[in-house]
Amino acid sequence: MSFALRTRHSVLPGFGLALGFTVLYLSLIVLIPLSAAFIRTAGMSWEAFWRTVTAPRVLASFELSFGAAFIAALINAFFGLIVAWVLVRYRFAGKKLIDALVDLPFALPTAVAGIALTAVYSSKGWIGQYLEPNGVKVAFTPLGVVVALTFIGLPFVVRTVQPVLADLGRELEEAASVLGATRRQTFVRVILPAILPALITGFALAFARGVGEYGSVIFIAGNMPMKSEIAPLLIVTKLEQYDYAGATAIAVVMLVASFLLLFALNLLQWWARRRGGQDS
Amino acid sequence: MSIEVRGIGKHFGNFTALDNVSLDFPTGELVALLGPSGCGKTTLLRIIAGLETAESGSVLFHGEDATEREARERKVGFVFQHYALFRHMTVFENIAFGLRVKPRRERPGEKGIRDKVTSLLKLVQLDWLAERYPSQLSGGQRQRIALARALAVEPKVLLLDEPFGALDAKVRKELRRWLRRLHDEIHVTSIFVTHDQEEALEVADRVVLMNQGRVEQIGTPEEVYEHPATPFVYGFLGSVNLFHGRAHDGVMHFGNLALDAPEHGGAENALAVAYTRPHEIEVGRFAPGDPGILARLKRALIVGPSARLELEREDGAGMIEAEIPSELHRRLALREGDTLLVRPRRTKVFLNAA
Repeated sequence: MSFALRTRHSVLPGFGLALGFTVLYLSLIVLIPLSAAFIRTAGMSWEAFWRTVTAPRVLASFELSFGAAFIAALINAFFGLIVAWVLVRYRFAGKKLIDALVDLPFALPTAVAGIALTAVYSSKGWIGQYLEPNGVKVAFTPLGVVVALTFIGLPFVVRTVQPVLADLGRELEEAASVLGATRRQTFVRVILPAILPALITGFALAFARGVGEYGSVIFIAGNMPMKSEIAPLLIVTKLEQYDYAGATAIAVVMLVASFLLLFALNLLQWWARRRGGQDS
Repeated sequence: MSIEVRGIGKHFGNFTALDNVSLDFPTGELVALLGPSGCGKTTLLRIIAGLETAESGSVLFHGEDATEREARERKVGFVFQHYALFRHMTVFENIAFGLRVKPRRERPGEKGIRDKVTSLLKLVQLDWLAERYPSQLSGGQRQRIALARALAVEPKVLLLDEPFGALDAKVRKELRRWLRRLHDEIHVTSIFVTHDQEEALEVADRVVLMNQGRVEQIGTPEEVYEHPATPFVYGFLGSVNLFHGRAHDGVMHFGNLALDAPEHGGAENALAVAYTRPHEIEVGRFAPGDPGILARLKRALIVGPSARLELEREDGAGMIEAEIPSELHRRLALREGDTLLVRPRRTKVFLNAA
């Protein structure tokens, strides 16, 4: 009997239909709108494109957008892990409430978040009034951008790590401690490797969200060119000046860079999973 | 190393998991903690390992009080029902784990670790699997690796929590014989928890029967099977038939039968129950005047050398299960629906608790 004939009777039905639908759906929702950006940009000459995307003001905005998103994702990876840990491991009054709070940055209109954060961190705000005399300026600086992106990205890490951590089970830790491992050794050698793929996924999601974030940042950033202006804002500015080609040129660079970074993170995650022996 | 537990008590909410349990586990023995689920056997094992703390009582290792020691300081080997292997480590690294986490001055060198792991892999007869991951192994292989991992730190005590519970029947049988041979080779004091009476009787030097947080009986497999101390033990160690009657002056009466029960010499017309295993029941054709209980054969199941008979008592007092040689079944030419005379050959009489 030929192999091809046998594969036709797969236990999972509808592969052709499901794949076709997937491709169509992704095309309509993701690929076609994105390719419009490339087509728009294609109207520019190579030199014009290069001049647009390497202008000092544009480069500074790229640096801020990717840099702040990266730092914010790192902060979230660390603290999000702690939040997930607490939510999974301990039972305490108000746990459900905290669990719900985690999702709030998802639900809140980002502009509201931005205005609230600005109010809190400005020189007269609740927190800002104590920070400013000590030489720490948050609102209207790159630091403010990091704060906003940290706020926005928190749920991604918590929600990806939480189920994996819950799935881990106490037995592994008990096994490690009976074998003589200290708590630190148990965490570093047993728990961390097991949740690393999920942690990387959470980091990548928080990072991607941070790169594209617009609403919450523009209020707290102050938007000073070369200093606290993010790339998405620059795109909007160019659109308002009817410079569609310039706007899409910046968008294309952001797209390509984001795609490469996310792809690299996916590879990293694949490697961590393989190392985790969770492949087969 | 010997283990003693003294007056251990533990509750989970309103549920009494362990009620003042005291036990001795002599050096070098393989002891089974046997009982139904919820009887406290696993909790006791975890208290000995230091994974759970008792509310009262103490645990002594080699005569020394170890109650306050943390799990990692007790130097016991523990094998979990669901293996608890580290998924992200190869088989080799799993076994090496206990050696790698030792403080630097106690830790063997890389070559020492390699030698130790290799010899353990040979001991559990899986040396070709060193570079595999746990997910690539069968259940039986995983449990053997878990055992090798526990043995790597050279524990003085080996604790096994339902080690074969997650395996299928055939593998379970193989592995328990293998565990017995392994124990005869390394002679480390071992306690294993099980709810499978066959497993406990086949593998252990001694069996501790537990029920509802208390110890019911301790003894060799033969002792507990042949001389159960309580009705619970009798019922738990195999199928059993119950005959209700009265005990008076050392004799138990039920139906037209009178059985000697000298251990109840002082009883006066007390309600009593006679316990009899299926293979201790005699079955014969009805003959007028013969003593015995009349029963109708409902079903006969012949499996290999023995025939299992399901009989319904004519007096309406329920079913009797009997096991007779197939050969006898053939000789008597039994048919379903026949009326037969049933007689217990050997019984153990317990007085009803008032």
